[in-house]
Amino acid sequence: MIVAIKNTFAEIGETTLFAKRFFKEVFIPPYETKEFLKQCYVIGYKSLPLVAITGFIMGLVLTLQSRPTLVKFGAESWLPGMVALSLIREIAPVITALICAGKISSGIGAELGSMKVTEQIDAMEVSAVNPYNYLVVTRVLACTLMVPLLVFFADAVGIIGGYVGINIHGDVNFYRFLTQIIQSLEFLDLFPATIKTFFFGFFIGMIGCYKGFNASNGTESVGQAANSAVVTASLSIFIIDMVAVQITDLFF
Amino acid sequence: MEKESGYTWKLGMFVTIGLLLFIMAVYFIGKQQNLFGSTFHISSQFKTVSGLEVGNNVRFSGINVGTVEQIQLKNDSTVRVVLVMKEEVRKFIKTDATASIGSDGLMGDKVLTISPGAKSQKEIEDNGQIASVDGIEMHDIMKSVKKSVDNIGVISDEIAIFSHSMNNGNGALARLVKDDKMANSVSNTLSNLETGTKGFSENMEAAKSNFLFRGYFKKKEKEKKEKQEERKEKQEEKKEKQEEAKKEKEEKAAKEKEQKEKEEKQKQEDAKKAEIKN
Repeated sequence: MIVAIKNTFAEIGETTLFAKRFFKEVFIPPYETKEFLKQCYVIGYKSLPLVAITGFIMGLVLTLQSRPTLVKFGAESWLPGMVALSLIREIAPVITALICAGKISSGIGAELGSMKVTEQIDAMEVSAVNPYNYLVVTRVLACTLMVPLLVFFADAVGIIGGYVGINIHGDVNFYRFLTQIIQSLEFLDLFPATIKTFFFGFFIGMIGCYKGFNASNGTESVGQAANSAVVTASLSIFIIDMVAVQITDLFF
Repeated sequence: MEKESGYTWKLGMFVTIGLLLFIMAVYFIGKQQNLFGSTFHISSQFKTVSGLEVGNNVRFSGINVGTVEQIQLKNDSTVRVVLVMKEEVRKFIKTDATASIGSDGLMGDKVLTISPGAKSQKEIEDNGQIASVDGIEMHDIMKSVKKSVDNIGVISDEIAIFSHSMNNGNGALARLVKDDKMANSVSNTLSNLETGTKGFSENMEAAKSNFLFRGYFKKKEKEKKEKQEERKEKQEEKKEKQEEAKKEKEEKAAKEKEQKEKEEKQKQEDAKKAEIKN
């Protein structure tokens, strides 16, 4: 029991050291620009269809679900504003981050895990290439920058989904719909949510890399790394979300 | 190299569109809050802002033209409200415009409304000040409602007392309403009065033909006739005047003299007759 707790703390400590190493190495050349761009492409562009479909469905479903309640209060005209507000503040960031945790974190965990198992990482070290700089820094950085962009896409597509949802029952001009949305939004809705997504991205990349980088030898550990990467990343997203909302609530 | 550029442009497109979405969102939200584009400030002082908050809309002719930027207490009964407004509406807001605070719908946010003045042609300057009109507060309405409810209470109390005394008292009205004897005696009195007045009018008719009073009534009739004649004469005179001014005047003077003499005689006669009557 005590050993288990001690192990947990030890893992958290190791993760912290791993993250600290990232901040140290991100500023040290050589910069692996080509690898970074490739990772951006894989993480950002390749995840776009998945994120777009999820965002669209989220916007559509949210509109349809909250419609009856608002109609009861005679506040149907608040529907676009409410849907956009909940999309931009909460749903798009969290859903996108969860999807990225599933897709990217597991991918990175499996990739780095198999590299570790097949001793490619050791081989890199032998050939005087810093494996941390080449594999981890590029991936984490790409994740941190691409997840917010994916969230913007999810916001936009989700709003279009909301428009479709509204037009299933009623008839609202698209321009009027957008005006209603913009009227109900403030910077306070947009910026904390955006800042939050950077943290989501960072943790998704970081946890995937850590799990993969520290995979023990053996084929089954690759699957294990991928699995635990997804679980830990998803959990950490919710925890970060809670903390971020609390902080936002505290200051504004 | 060929393979690399294959994903690079896709990545570039992805990043560009993503950033563009973000910038658009920032721009449109900022435009909503008047952060971009040229603006100007005006201020107004209120006794109470009744829950107005920073960021509430400012309306002019029903159009959102700005937002409330600052609300500060100046002293214990004055609140200064600073508004940031779009530059393009400045030419429509004159120096005698007034600001009032209302609410947007029953449950909605507070809204500051600027109403145009009547006289001034001078457009307001940046950082200018406009007058304020105090809106009707809920408790003002309640106050006046309470006053009338209080009055109604007093009135209903009195009505209760009145109806109680009507039902149970021995006053004249109560007896009139309740007592059959009273009602009968009142109706008898009324019928007596009716017959009495009939007899009185007959007496009067009789008095007219009595020789003692006959002269008086005849004299009255005479006077009436004379007055009518005089009117006729005057009308004729006016017509004649237009035709022959000078001659007529002389004649008229003569006539008037005669008339005066007649009247004096009549008066003397009247006096004599009155003496006789008495």
